[in-house]
Amino acid sequence: MADIPTFKLVLVGGDPAGKTTFVKRHLTGEFEKKSSPTTLGVEVHPLTFHTNFGAICFNTWDTASLTIAAAAARAAASRSLQGQEKFGGLRDGYYIQGQCAIIMFDVTSRITYKNVPNWHRDLVRVCENIPIVLCGNKVDIKERKVKAKAITFHRKKNLQYYDISAKSNYNFEKPFLWLARKLIGNPNLDFVAAPALAPAEVTIDAATIAQMENEMQEASAIPLPAEDDDDL
Amino acid sequence: MSAEEHHNAAAGEDEVEASPDVHFEPVMKLEQLDEIKTFEEDEDTIFKMRAKLFRFVKGDNEWKERGTGDVKLLKHKVTGKIRVLMRRDKTHKICANHFVSNEMNLTPNVGSDRSWVYNVAADFSEGAPTAELLAIRFANTENANKFKEAFEEAKVVNAKISDSPSSAAPAEPAASAEPAAHAEPAAHAEPAAASAEHAAAHTETAAEAATEEAAHVPEPAATATETAALAEAAPAETAPAEAEHKAE
Repeated sequence: MADIPTFKLVLVGGDPAGKTTFVKRHLTGEFEKKSSPTTLGVEVHPLTFHTNFGAICFNTWDTASLTIAAAAARAAASRSLQGQEKFGGLRDGYYIQGQCAIIMFDVTSRITYKNVPNWHRDLVRVCENIPIVLCGNKVDIKERKVKAKAITFHRKKNLQYYDISAKSNYNFEKPFLWLARKLIGNPNLDFVAAPALAPAEVTIDAATIAQMENEMQEASAIPLPAEDDDDL
Repeated sequence: MSAEEHHNAAAGEDEVEASPDVHFEPVMKLEQLDEIKTFEEDEDTIFKMRAKLFRFVKGDNEWKERGTGDVKLLKHKVTGKIRVLMRRDKTHKICANHFVSNEMNLTPNVGSDRSWVYNVAADFSEGAPTAELLAIRFANTENANKFKEAFEEAKVVNAKISDSPSSAAPAEPAASAEPAAHAEPAAHAEPAAASAEHAAAHTETAAEAATEEAAHVPEPAATATETAALAEAAPAETAPAEAEHKAE
């Protein structure tokens, strides 16, 4: 699977919108409750999806949404930061050759929605006319601050919009599905079963079995995450 | 999907208004596949149930979610061997793919009467084998027990198969279950190394198969247009595999 069609996806949005949590959810299935430290620089994660048009990969640039303090520190280091003031924008390098993008905000934080036009402006300055999805994350939380009717920016700029939740997985595949359809120009693209190659036989020695058994005893004493399984 | 119902109830009538559908120039043209291979075609589903899977991350000393979806026990139509396969909802990515083996003991997790913890020496969810400590949780105790029952039966079936390596001898059914994994541990060290090599070799084969498969099934970027062109040139009933061969 070395040469599958690959697209550069730029993921931006106010901190903490849940960008890294969203990417990790897709990468490993985990849901990280703890707010991870702000991503510094950029992390590129290849997210592969199996579709009825073959496997495709989004090289997802989880870009640092700098805190004001970090942005100020960087501004001191570099004087050529015109247009990337207060809200802490990114260097053009993050956006260059971006073929699609997700702008994410947190529906429980108005400031993250307010910053959406800034992210959009910076993005389209470098990437003209690429498909962009706007995502309002954390819709599982009851105290929603950015109400549905207040979300209008996407209509002015022809962005696709989805309410999503990295926690409940609500719509969590939709941004990628929509982008994939646009990138290959076919609305019939769908996700399909990933090929499940036969596992190999593995023999392990008694010592390893004993060690694994010990680890299991310890781990079985550690409770599993929250019991809210309304999806079972 | 109750999570979605819950959400819809919360959002109610005020949904976010959609943008008009706009056209973007496609970046890449891909051909729709005629056939989607799951690699489950030679197996029968002997058990299927919704579950949530977790794996233990040693560095963080905690359980992390791995996926929610149907866990299946698949029995091979020829060899009779049974594996566990689980895919996530919606994206259909694999989160568990391993044989059921004799040293796997489903153990309760503290404070839960509907989950099992067990070890996997080699899980193939991501292609390359990894050792995983997994926990699987079901909707209720009844479901968890049904899974355990099916899993224990699968252990017996697989143990019998590994005991009688292709020599179709009428194996002694009762006694054969236990010795397989634990037999003479002293003499085991070398075979273990050998079988590790074997596993590696197998993985390569699997990887090769995947790459080969990629040539006609998931259509990599470079060959996509070529294949498409060939497919058009070739008679309609020519299988993609043959089209590929002609290309070489």
